[in-house]
Amino acid sequence: MEQKDRKQDAQNNTHIVSLTSLPEGAKGVVAHAIGGYGLIRRLAEMGLTPGVEVKLNKKCPFRGPVEVEVRGVTLALGYGVASKIFVKPLRKEPNG
Amino acid sequence: MASCHTPTKTKKDSEGKETLRVALAGNANVGKSAIFNQLTGLNQIVGNWPGKTVERAEGTLHFKGYKIRVIDLPGIYSLSTFSMEEIVSRDYIAVEKPDIIINVVDASALERNLYFTLQLLELEAPIIIALNQVDLAAKKGFKIDAQKLSEVLGVPVVPTVAITGSGINELLSTVIMAINGEVKMNPLRVRFGGEIEEKIQDLEKIVAEKLSHLCTVYPARWIAIKLLERDADVAGKLKNYENGSAVLDYAEKMASELEKMHGEPSSVILASERYSLANKISKETTTIESPPKISLEQKLDAITTHKVLGYPILAAVAALIFTIIFVGGNILSEAINPLFNSLTLFITNALSPLLPTAAIELINQGLIGGIIAGITVALPYIIPFYVLLALLEDSGYLPRAAFLMDNVMHKIGLHGKAFIPLMLGYGCSVPACMGCRIMETERERFLTAFVVVLIPCAARTVVILGLVGRYVGLHAALALYAFDLVLVFALGRIAFKALPGEPVGLLMEMPPYKKPSAKLIAIKTWSRTKDFVYVAFPIIVAGSVIIEALAITGFIGYIVNALEPLISGWIGLPAVAGIPLIFGVLRKELALILLENALLQQGMTLADLNAVQMVVFSLVVMIYVPCVATIAACTREFGWKKALAIAIIDVSLALTLGGIAYRLLSPLMGT
Repeated sequence: MEQKDRKQDAQNNTHIVSLTSLPEGAKGVVAHAIGGYGLIRRLAEMGLTPGVEVKLNKKCPFRGPVEVEVRGVTLALGYGVASKIFVKPLRKEPNG
Repeated sequence: MASCHTPTKTKKDSEGKETLRVALAGNANVGKSAIFNQLTGLNQIVGNWPGKTVERAEGTLHFKGYKIRVIDLPGIYSLSTFSMEEIVSRDYIAVEKPDIIINVVDASALERNLYFTLQLLELEAPIIIALNQVDLAAKKGFKIDAQKLSEVLGVPVVPTVAITGSGINELLSTVIMAINGEVKMNPLRVRFGGEIEEKIQDLEKIVAEKLSHLCTVYPARWIAIKLLERDADVAGKLKNYENGSAVLDYAEKMASELEKMHGEPSSVILASERYSLANKISKETTTIESPPKISLEQKLDAITTHKVLGYPILAAVAALIFTIIFVGGNILSEAINPLFNSLTLFITNALSPLLPTAAIELINQGLIGGIIAGITVALPYIIPFYVLLALLEDSGYLPRAAFLMDNVMHKIGLHGKAFIPLMLGYGCSVPACMGCRIMETERERFLTAFVVVLIPCAARTVVILGLVGRYVGLHAALALYAFDLVLVFALGRIAFKALPGEPVGLLMEMPPYKKPSAKLIAIKTWSRTKDFVYVAFPIIVAGSVIIEALAITGFIGYIVNALEPLISGWIGLPAVAGIPLIFGVLRKELALILLENALLQQGMTLADLNAVQMVVFSLVVMIYVPCVATIAACTREFGWKKALAIAIIDVSLALTLGGIAYRLLSPLMGT
């Protein structure tokens, strides 16, 4: 139920998008993650805590995995996992 | 020593040679096992943690008159209950209380690694930092001030480059000095922000008061923190105590209050706190020297994980590996075989005056034959396979392959990491079964193992290529492989639907590419080969003796007769094909040689079989029971019940499909 509220929240708030909808090379700040307690905790432990800056390095086609950079580490996230992480996109940097 | 957890300088009477216990701890991919291998060399025992399928590596070394026992704790992301590895590690640290813990920290990803360090400090364990991969950090354009880091953390910091062995001596000297109290240890007390810290201290008091016994093992503050994080393992420990549930209720109340305030799960709040401290320390101790250059490794990464180019590269790598294993394996195998032929001849000659023929047969065919079977598989195929595997691992290619295959693996309910054991399966099912450990949950491990044993290993490939490939044509052999893949996917899907539980998504670190070290690859190959020999050899030899005894006593004839309706009636093979199928359980490529022998006794050769029979025989060999060594590995990983279930399913499946193939293919292929 709480998750649903959050999803709603994410949809209403235009500034927050799912990590999978960031374009390649773009940066964002993690707002929150939805999903099971275990997943949210695991994400936090791997450095994906609210407020942290992430860079989306690569997106694979056909809802494939994404590669992100967070806290100086490169992580591979399955599409399902990545779509549960919501970020506030940062203004594009000139290089990309 | 038993008194407490304040990080006392464990002063020991250093008279004579005493054994020091040192544990290595750190995140995955930080070069921890490289440090372990540099420290212990070939003096290591790889096994399992008691009752767990978590690898335990232990070794000893001598340094400055001390005997040092080194335990390599499993590489983990953090010290909370996500996986068995983490529980094993923190329990070892808290319960066994090693004299010192070397925390291997990746200098090129300091913030991320300090998160783990902070948790070790929470455990109030005596630690030394091995600041590893300082070369990699330099490549990324920054430098870590080891002195400053040591001051902030209050523990010694030794810069190392494990791959080349640089800094290892200093690390050992520091270990000795720290244990002897010759360096100052004033570990940082990790403090959390405002109301979080208040709640921890509040809870700590209650824990210390009500669970005084548990506090002799774990620090009270640590228990308080874990309870606040709703750690299931620690909560479970409390259940054995009288006051446990009262403390648990109180902790639950605290956690809920905290969550209400912050709007996040308590574990996330604490993780954020630790990370912000880690970030602060990292910033204080890092100086940026030059802008990061696009290195060769990064270019390599970009190409090998490219959404289009990545796949042909992956296919090429796989093809190259198989070619090396098969070509190299064949050459080695053929070089070894004559050696054993002369050995059996020698034994026959030496023993014939002493023992009856049957006994000599039992020794030669059973005992020696079993050992030969083990050696001609282990040496020629397994060793090259392990060398290549270590190369792929140490270079960092495996996670890239997993990344590329994530999408495909999702089709059978697994994620990208499952591709790794699956690929290993084409070499040998035994390490592939053990490789299933990289999956996160018990469910995923079993599901992966279930499909992995269906992958034709090197031995099965010998049968497929030697029979179908040689007499029917390469196209038919390839068709068998293609069919196998379809089967793996179909069965994987069914098992995925049938097994209860939630699938887990891919969440894995992608370490940068590294140049592997020949020495470390040699050590890895050696310890794995040893492990393989321990698992597989006793079973292959015992099985071989038993089957030979059945043959000598004539029992095998009864078995073949009993199986006749199945072998010739249902799958359409000559009745004698039952013998190679039985022996094939020991070692699958043996099935082909034995089929040839059995046919010879009937005055036939392999070429006398028709195409359908060849395809059916290969199909059955490909799918039916994974060999005994694999069953042993499965038993070790999953218990005998699940191993037996896999074996039974595979045999029934092989025979069912064999019969169907016989009936479908006969009219098609005109026989």
